[in-house]
Amino acid sequence: MWKKKLYSSTPLLTILLRTSKIPKIHSPNSVSHKNITLLDPLLQTSASFSSSSSPFVEIEGVSFPTVGGIFFGGPTFHRENVNLFTKKKNSFCSESKSAEKLQCWNCDATADGTTLFLVCQSCRSIQAVNHSIDYFQILGVERKYNIEVEKLEGKYKNWQKKLHPDLVHSKSQREREYAAEQSARVINAYRTLTDPLSRAIYILKLENVVVDEEERITDPELLAEIMELREAVEEAEGNQALNQIKAQIQDKMQYWCKSFEDAFLNKKYEDAIASIQRMTYYKRANEEIIKKL
Amino acid sequence: MLRHASKMILGQGLRSPPTRAVAVGAGTPRMYHERVVDHYNNPRNVGSFDKNDPNVGTGLVGAPACGDVMKLQIRVDDDTGKIVDACFKTFGCGSAIASSSVATEWVKGKQTEEVLTIKNTEIAKHLSLPPVKLHCSMLAEDAIKAAVKDYESKRAKSNASEEAAPVEKAADA
Repeated sequence: MWKKKLYSSTPLLTILLRTSKIPKIHSPNSVSHKNITLLDPLLQTSASFSSSSSPFVEIEGVSFPTVGGIFFGGPTFHRENVNLFTKKKNSFCSESKSAEKLQCWNCDATADGTTLFLVCQSCRSIQAVNHSIDYFQILGVERKYNIEVEKLEGKYKNWQKKLHPDLVHSKSQREREYAAEQSARVINAYRTLTDPLSRAIYILKLENVVVDEEERITDPELLAEIMELREAVEEAEGNQALNQIKAQIQDKMQYWCKSFEDAFLNKKYEDAIASIQRMTYYKRANEEIIKKL
Repeated sequence: MLRHASKMILGQGLRSPPTRAVAVGAGTPRMYHERVVDHYNNPRNVGSFDKNDPNVGTGLVGAPACGDVMKLQIRVDDDTGKIVDACFKTFGCGSAIASSSVATEWVKGKQTEEVLTIKNTEIAKHLSLPPVKLHCSMLAEDAIKAAVKDYESKRAKSNASEEAAPVEKAADA
């Protein structure tokens, strides 16, 4: 009966276009036959599309092409999306980013998409991973490079108190899986944001600037400097000499972190990438020192 | 993964990690080919030439994403244009070290024009490099080209100054 309602009241394409704004909730395969016949081709909407303008949508690390904001494909149809179509019909009409509605799989409570939706506020059940929430949001810090790293640890531990898999033994299989995924994501977020270099690379990635893994450079000054540095590390004898070099590297790292921040704030992404390159080289030299110490 | 076993090779010999390279190879499905391990354990042509020597061409290249830096030097006979000696110094993973080592072996005894045709795919095939390490062989190819380019530009400069000198002498006379 809701099928008829859907067909008669709103054109299918409009629904599809509108639902691309509604974030998806991942769930294990729960296919209902009714739903397959209704929506053919099967579709999934992706949360990450609403936050980025790229023609590709990344779901769990794999890129899928989108057409007009709609992701076609995937063999599974998600029950939550059906719920959204039926119960959230009204929200199709008045959508803005702040009015994104997410629905808890357990208690059907709705929550604003902008509030952190890792754990449902009403029934305390753990939700599926939502990739549109970036690491900065997970750890509740402002999306900028120069964050206060000390604050991260507290928030990280708070989340682990709610999400850690060891704490959900009594809950359902589904919730335990969600807990494991969410916990892993929180760990990744914490690790990425605490290290200055990975934080730099990540924040650029959020701006759709990707550091090319295979790029090669021939800048003689930079390379000569790094060559000398690595040779010095190799030839250094005794911990004192090594620690001296380590201190020099720390200074340089700080300088280039600052340089990255400036470049990033001014949207000078070429300079930002150059800073990242420098930081990578210094970090490697530092690792060699630590190995020797 | 083997990045953690990266080391610099000096002519003086190696420190302990060769076993680490083998151990990693044995434990994981993705292994280093025995040729790579061989170049790692028995490095050939590690060292440095005087870069101010007019017969020496120095190629210095880097892969910033993985923090690798590679220096490849050639010594060329001016009369024949033949590369009589080559050496390298590479800071990076085992594949990068092996690629540059192979490069120095292959350029020896060849003409400078000839070595420009050495392709990274040949090096990669020789070492059975996995796709993720192909850029290491690209780095070696770049290093060869950079070394030849450096030598040629040195020669061009010295030829230019040689031409200037006789003119000056004629003017003095």
